[in-house]
Amino acid sequence: MLGGFISDLQKGDVFESVTYQLTAFMAREYAHGVEENWEGYHSDNVEGGRQMRPPTMIHADKMRILEKNCLKEQRISGMKAPDARVHYEYYARHHSPAYVGETLTVSGHITDRYIKRGRDYLDYYLEVRTSDGRLVTTYTDKTLLRFKPVGEP
Amino acid sequence: MNAPVSIDRLVVGSDLYGPVRVIIPERIEWYDSAMLSAAVGELRQVGSNIHTDENYAKEQGFTAVNADGMILTNWCSTMMVDYFGINYVKRGELRTKFIKLVLLNTVLHVRGKVLAIENTPEGNLYKLDVWCEDAAGTKLVDGDAQVLVPRK
Repeated sequence: MLGGFISDLQKGDVFESVTYQLTAFMAREYAHGVEENWEGYHSDNVEGGRQMRPPTMIHADKMRILEKNCLKEQRISGMKAPDARVHYEYYARHHSPAYVGETLTVSGHITDRYIKRGRDYLDYYLEVRTSDGRLVTTYTDKTLLRFKPVGEP
Repeated sequence: MNAPVSIDRLVVGSDLYGPVRVIIPERIEWYDSAMLSAAVGELRQVGSNIHTDENYAKEQGFTAVNADGMILTNWCSTMMVDYFGINYVKRGELRTKFIKLVLLNTVLHVRGKVLAIENTPEGNLYKLDVWCEDAAGTKLVDGDAQVLVPRK
């Protein structure tokens, strides 16, 4: 169910998409935060002459789409649910770079929700496209909805 | 690292070496604040979470604060861009699984190994194991990656 907590999401839920313009600040700040010095993430001084974002910024896109679709747990805005979420798996395929100045649309859905070894998992599929429809990234993600096993207070 | 590494020297079985870094509170704060800032387009400061707040982490069942897994994914990504440059950004892929908690003061080594180099019509497709281990060699993050390098 959309509109509530992340733990309210169920298999088949389709997110309302998010669209934004990628700025030089976004790419630089993200790269800087992980001590990533590859120049193409910081300036146009790169093959092709266009600054691009680190492909791992798909994780920031996940936060954006959750902010729009899980109104009781807007983590960018500082909201918390009773249980902290724990990221378990990241898998990104890069189809093309996202360049600074481009308008990006993030869309996706929940592919599965299940209990494994007593823990509650949520699987996501997200994709990012430019305004002209070019595919940038496809992404799957596996997250534990709480670190403690199901039923443990 | 960030010194150019020639992939011409890579063969099946070659080892790749990424950053060796200690998990310190500032690195956790740098990432979490940067991710928030990138997500909103202006500077933000991370608040309390399982990576930054010892009491909150314990309430949630952890023994202590632990590194955000995306820091480790990004350090793996750094290794990939150091070796494969723009080809990794344009036509690569990366998977990471956070198989163990990574606690403060862990000395983290990012590593890789070439599993296959497939000759395809578009170029050479490099398939790699990618992982992070501590100083004792215990694997903390497991993963894999691929990069297609077009013919020159």
